[in-house]
Amino acid sequence: CTDELDQKPISSATTLTFYQSNNDFLQGINSVYASLSGYPDRQLNLSETRSDNLYAVSDGGVRDWEGVNSFHPTLATNPYISEAWSANYSGIFKANTFLDQLAKNGAVITDATLKPRFEAEARYLRAMYYFDLVRWFGKVPLIDKVVSQNEALAIPRSSVADVYKLIISDLQFATQNLPATYTTANVGRATNNAAKSLLALVYMTRSGATYNIEGAGLGVNEWALAYSLLNEVISSGKYSLLPTYPSIFSYTNENNAEVIFDVQFISGGLGLGTTFPVVLAPDTYFTANGLPNQTLTIRPISNDLLNSYATADTRRAFSILSGYTNNGVQETRSFFKKYIDLTKYGKSRTDWPINFITMRYADVLMMKAECILQGGGGTQDEAVTIVNSIRKRAGLGNITSLTLPQLMEERRKEFAGEGTRWHDLVRSGLVEKTITAWIPVEDVLKQMKAFKTDYILYPIPQSELDVKSGLYTQNNGY
Amino acid sequence: QDRVITGLVTDGVSGSGIPGVSILLKNSARGVTSDASGNFKIAVADENGVLVFSSVGYTTQQVSINSRSIINIALSPDTKSLDEVVVVGYGTQKKANVTGSMANFNAKDLDQRPVARVDQALIGQLAGVSVKQTSGTPGKGFSVQVRGSGSISASNEPLYVIDGFPLETSGQNASGGFSTGNPLDNLNPNDIENIQVLKDASSAAIYGSRAANGVVLITTKKGQDSKAKISLNVYSGITKATRMLDMLNAEEWIDRATEMINAQWVASGTGRTASQTTAERRAILKLAGTAVNTSLMLDDRWTQEGHPGLTYIDWQKEAFRTGMVKNYQLSASGGNANVKYYVSGNLLNQDGTTLNTFYKNYSARANVEVKANEKLKFGINLAPSYSEANDPGIEGKDAIIHIVAGMTPVQEANAGLDANTGAFPSYAWSVSRNSPIRQLENNVGLTKNFRTLFSTYVDYELLKGLTFRSSINFDNTDASTKRYSPDWVNGSQTARLNTPGISTSGSFSTLRKQTIVNENTLSYNTTIAKDHDLSTVIGYAYNLTKLATSTMSSAGGFNSSTITTLNAAASVTGNTNETQNVLLSYFGRVQYGFKGKYLLSASLRRDGSSRFGDNNKWGLFPSASVGWRLSEEDFMKNVSAVSELKLRASWGQAGNYNIGDYSSIATLGFANYTFGAAQVGGQSPNRISNPDLTWEKSQTIDVGVDVGFLKNRFTAAFDYYTKKNTDLLLNVPVPLATGFATSLTNIGEVLNQGWEFELTSRNINQGAFQWTTSVNLSHNENKVVHLAPGDAQIYIPSSFDIPHSVLKVGDPMYAFYVVKMTGILSQADIDNKVALYGTQTAGDPKYFDANNDGKIDANDRVYAGKPNPDLIYGITNTLKYKGFDLSVLVQGQTGGSVYSLFGRAVDRTGQGYTDNALGIYRNRWRSAENPGEGLRGKAYSTFGRIKNTDWLWSSDYWRIRNITVGYDLGKIVSKKYLQGARIYATAENWFGADQYKGGWNPDAINTNLSGDASFPQGGDYGGLPLARSIIFGVNLTF
Repeated sequence: CTDELDQKPISSATTLTFYQSNNDFLQGINSVYASLSGYPDRQLNLSETRSDNLYAVSDGGVRDWEGVNSFHPTLATNPYISEAWSANYSGIFKANTFLDQLAKNGAVITDATLKPRFEAEARYLRAMYYFDLVRWFGKVPLIDKVVSQNEALAIPRSSVADVYKLIISDLQFATQNLPATYTTANVGRATNNAAKSLLALVYMTRSGATYNIEGAGLGVNEWALAYSLLNEVISSGKYSLLPTYPSIFSYTNENNAEVIFDVQFISGGLGLGTTFPVVLAPDTYFTANGLPNQTLTIRPISNDLLNSYATADTRRAFSILSGYTNNGVQETRSFFKKYIDLTKYGKSRTDWPINFITMRYADVLMMKAECILQGGGGTQDEAVTIVNSIRKRAGLGNITSLTLPQLMEERRKEFAGEGTRWHDLVRSGLVEKTITAWIPVEDVLKQMKAFKTDYILYPIPQSELDVKSGLYTQNNGY
Repeated sequence: QDRVITGLVTDGVSGSGIPGVSILLKNSARGVTSDASGNFKIAVADENGVLVFSSVGYTTQQVSINSRSIINIALSPDTKSLDEVVVVGYGTQKKANVTGSMANFNAKDLDQRPVARVDQALIGQLAGVSVKQTSGTPGKGFSVQVRGSGSISASNEPLYVIDGFPLETSGQNASGGFSTGNPLDNLNPNDIENIQVLKDASSAAIYGSRAANGVVLITTKKGQDSKAKISLNVYSGITKATRMLDMLNAEEWIDRATEMINAQWVASGTGRTASQTTAERRAILKLAGTAVNTSLMLDDRWTQEGHPGLTYIDWQKEAFRTGMVKNYQLSASGGNANVKYYVSGNLLNQDGTTLNTFYKNYSARANVEVKANEKLKFGINLAPSYSEANDPGIEGKDAIIHIVAGMTPVQEANAGLDANTGAFPSYAWSVSRNSPIRQLENNVGLTKNFRTLFSTYVDYELLKGLTFRSSINFDNTDASTKRYSPDWVNGSQTARLNTPGISTSGSFSTLRKQTIVNENTLSYNTTIAKDHDLSTVIGYAYNLTKLATSTMSSAGGFNSSTITTLNAAASVTGNTNETQNVLLSYFGRVQYGFKGKYLLSASLRRDGSSRFGDNNKWGLFPSASVGWRLSEEDFMKNVSAVSELKLRASWGQAGNYNIGDYSSIATLGFANYTFGAAQVGGQSPNRISNPDLTWEKSQTIDVGVDVGFLKNRFTAAFDYYTKKNTDLLLNVPVPLATGFATSLTNIGEVLNQGWEFELTSRNINQGAFQWTTSVNLSHNENKVVHLAPGDAQIYIPSSFDIPHSVLKVGDPMYAFYVVKMTGILSQADIDNKVALYGTQTAGDPKYFDANNDGKIDANDRVYAGKPNPDLIYGITNTLKYKGFDLSVLVQGQTGGSVYSLFGRAVDRTGQGYTDNALGIYRNRWRSAENPGEGLRGKAYSTFGRIKNTDWLWSSDYWRIRNITVGYDLGKIVSKKYLQGARIYATAENWFGADQYKGGWNPDAINTNLSGDASFPQGGDYGGLPLARSIIFGVNLTF
């Protein structure tokens, strides 16, 4: 009769009954990908919104993005920042669980090629999550296996160099063990080129300016390592620039030749859609167009960005919408409409179906140009050629020489609204100068704080500091 | 030939008539009861028969008729009430012998109050029992707490036991609801005879792992050995909201909007002045034709005579209405030596005080007991019920009543109440919300609940005093909820016209909950050598609860504008879920009394629950108590003023097992993903296993004294207790680096200490006039003693901005920590560099720089209050004069606070002008010369917002919960037709006051403030006011 006290959950599996077959492991690795779902919004909230691309300082003090955009020092309790910490560590936990189980029970996987691929996929994702963390927070606790609560309470923030060590070793394993392509049903899984591109960006970020903070840049000068990886990706011949800018982001042209890695979404009310196309757009734009409310109020594009486009630049009209009327009220401010196709609205505001490209071929090419300018190899002419190929597509004329600020300015428009701007400014060493010059010009409402290099990193979420006093120390400036 | 005997039964001490005395002709089925004045009339065949007079509180007397036709008799009060028995866990006990702490509520008169639920009836009745009406929608469950709250994350609701059947416990969720149903749902209060609350661990611990929050024993009405008594009770009345929220009216809103728009205009560029006209501003902004920028331009009609084309709306007035309540109850009870029955049918129909809300309950009950022979008894209790409740989605964040409060009181005249619904757009200067009135009228939120409670038992007397009892109990709930909101009261005008149906939403969810309990007890009662009373019980119980839920929701709107069921949805998503748990128990109790003076009781229970970890499946719950009835000692016999004096002391340990069914097991959750534009399944652990997980333990020490003076004319009880909850089921924050934010662990300790006082005084008891006062007072202090190792304080996460509550050692649970608002900033303050938050300027609120670092931020939060009151009280006065009776129940609480996140909607610094604001803004700061009351700063402020004492309100209130006036028609209507007849009028909740200006109801819980299951914190984000009612009723007995 006391057997009845051993009740097993009816509507869920348990760790004791799982990881017993190919399919269980397949589901296990898929769940590690699922933690990518917050990645796009996060890049928009923490990178795009932090940067000089947006001027979204005040909306009556109710929006979480206001302090991000205006450099408030009180961000430690900001939900965007806790999300960045928690979603990445959740992904890392899933990857670690999967890798532990693979080591323990991997023998049940009958397909010999599958096991190394699974391991490589998990390590690629773990590296991506740690890289996201290190760019936002600098030093973070380094955990590469499933740990108990008590173990975690004894793991402080590791040095940035140590975090990179794990990222690099994971990505190196991934470059060697991931396939170059997948069957149609598996499109969206990490490929070896995705791993190489990401590893290149990791080397470049590590090589970036240090600003005298314990941030993502270590000034290590690994531009050459990145340069050669990028060349491998380019010479693989698997990718090319699409002829027109809009076709890259077309809802009917996903997984196109420019996509190296993306976060995949579908609509249909399955909980697998996304909000990123609309997070920077105002709610009234949707109501004006007969759709249910999608978001909150507008996060206006800065005058600085608007003015930086050359008249001929076709990317502006595709990326940005300036002005519309809703219910007789005229909205004169501009916003990013790049990813919005009003006809592709899914079952709800969280159900947009478009994938978010985290690494595209244009990025790889321009990263190569950046490596060249930073002395990692190649010639200035090669870099100029690369940028001209990008400019040509945008309807712009050729340039004949290229400086790093020029390259970054070109990136700003090529990747506008894609969540790269802050990372680009930080990596290139331009952030302090750029933002300091920008604030007094843009901030007519006088809402912004003076910029400090400490603000290159975000604060550790207050909730994490509260767990155990002294376990983590807060970043400077917060 | 019958002869009729009349007479008067009086109180032997006071000489006044005693109503309700049972008068039986011995050895016959004939019986009557005395009327309100104590008069009786009985027909007897045998002039030498014997009449038996009995009444609770008096000694039973037998009187021979001896051919008399008038018999007046005086009954002597039974000062010892020796025979009065009370219900305890698994049995009954003489009241005089009780050594634990219990509170009793005689519910017989409940059928004369417009009380829709049993929990509602408990308000103000019992010391130490706090009942909160957390919702104003009809039919919703109340929150009941016995002796404070001892659990941080598990439920604080008591265990309910109805006629011996322990119902599945269920905690109130942070949104104020009971997601798997409340144990008291559908129960008909009119069927209740008595409610007994076991407060201390010594009385409750026999219910083991479910008793930590107290146990409420409910006894339903039973048949008596008498001829059939048929009773009809009908009442009907009206209900209204107790109060409205003070919001700015339309003129005041325009005044504030004008001030803010002008300020924004001036700030938006150089050379812009408030005196510039709309046309001038349009020219400056280079706007075309009639285009407007509503942030920078005024509506010219505001200042025109009669505001042409605009209408002013008091949205609250439109949303509320006069509701009604009707109740019909017909019951029959009676029996003979072999069969006793109570049968009832009840229909309750209640229309809420807001449009389109109602609660209907149809219930029936049959309690039948059959005595097969001298040793064998069978019984069956059957109570089917069906209820329907409609709630269009009124309470909580972004729900209708929130919008009613915040809705712009100025609208286009042609739209009026149709603002932004159907073909009407929003008024340009209004919030873009859809008319809450049209939503209220057209949304569906209909819950249908069919519940059957069924118990059957057999009693067999094995030997004299030794009885075996076995029962099988079954509680089945089948509930469904249909929600629907049509397109035309949602979305924007363009959407309604261009993409009809896309904003229609609907869902259908079901819940089936089944509890099966089998209990077997062996009890033995005996008296040894006259002086030794021994009473023992041992038993075994099996308890199984199954829960199956399903939910289906529309996705992508509806394809029809008329069909409200999901077959018309563009597509449907859904899922089902099942859980179950088993509880096995062994228990026993010994009660011993020596000469009715020295009393001793001890109990032990062993519970095994499937909910707990493999290493801790079983737990032991002991208790012991002693009592000393000094009034029975020889040295006290001479003190005639003292009729009762008893000292009690008890200790015991009980448990709380409310943590969900599988919390100790590492389950996997679904984490699906997409490859190649198709869904792929994914699963990963959503919890770390904890095989040590076990119940919360609650240890109570209670000392008490019961006294009675002047033949129990005054009785009082006082209890002091400390209740220590340890091994709390606490979701301890862990580094997110583990993959999880918290880990469920048995850790932490909370202490509740307090006292309770109950007094009943028969103030006047002279002839026709009687006046009785009952008072109950309780004080409880709640304190966190330990948290996780290191005792680090835990900030309760908040869905809205920074945390405002904390768990901190030494403080009450969920204490409020917010920044202190100390006044309004002057230019001198700014010049003197007082601490500022953000870009504050003169006229903004001034905050207290608690850590003195020269700036205001989250680190300046200080202790500001606590959710639980210090003192709760209830006072009942009952007066009787001849045929009239009057009773008044006053109830209230003091010392608690409410932190209202509803302030975020209607009372926030920097709030835009479109949302309406609280009336407190009427006297806001306007200029240094016109600084207002100093409570709220200027309307146009841009510095942002930090959680501060603006939203902190006292939760003190007092209410006259009930006034009932009745008149006994017995003197007018002939006994030939009616045994009894009474008419009455009741005012429920009619008078009262509270200090909560930031919402309608200081007890409201409707919105999950933490958004975190680990630290459930419910709060008010727009809860309905309580209803008050006036009803008239008639009670006929045949």
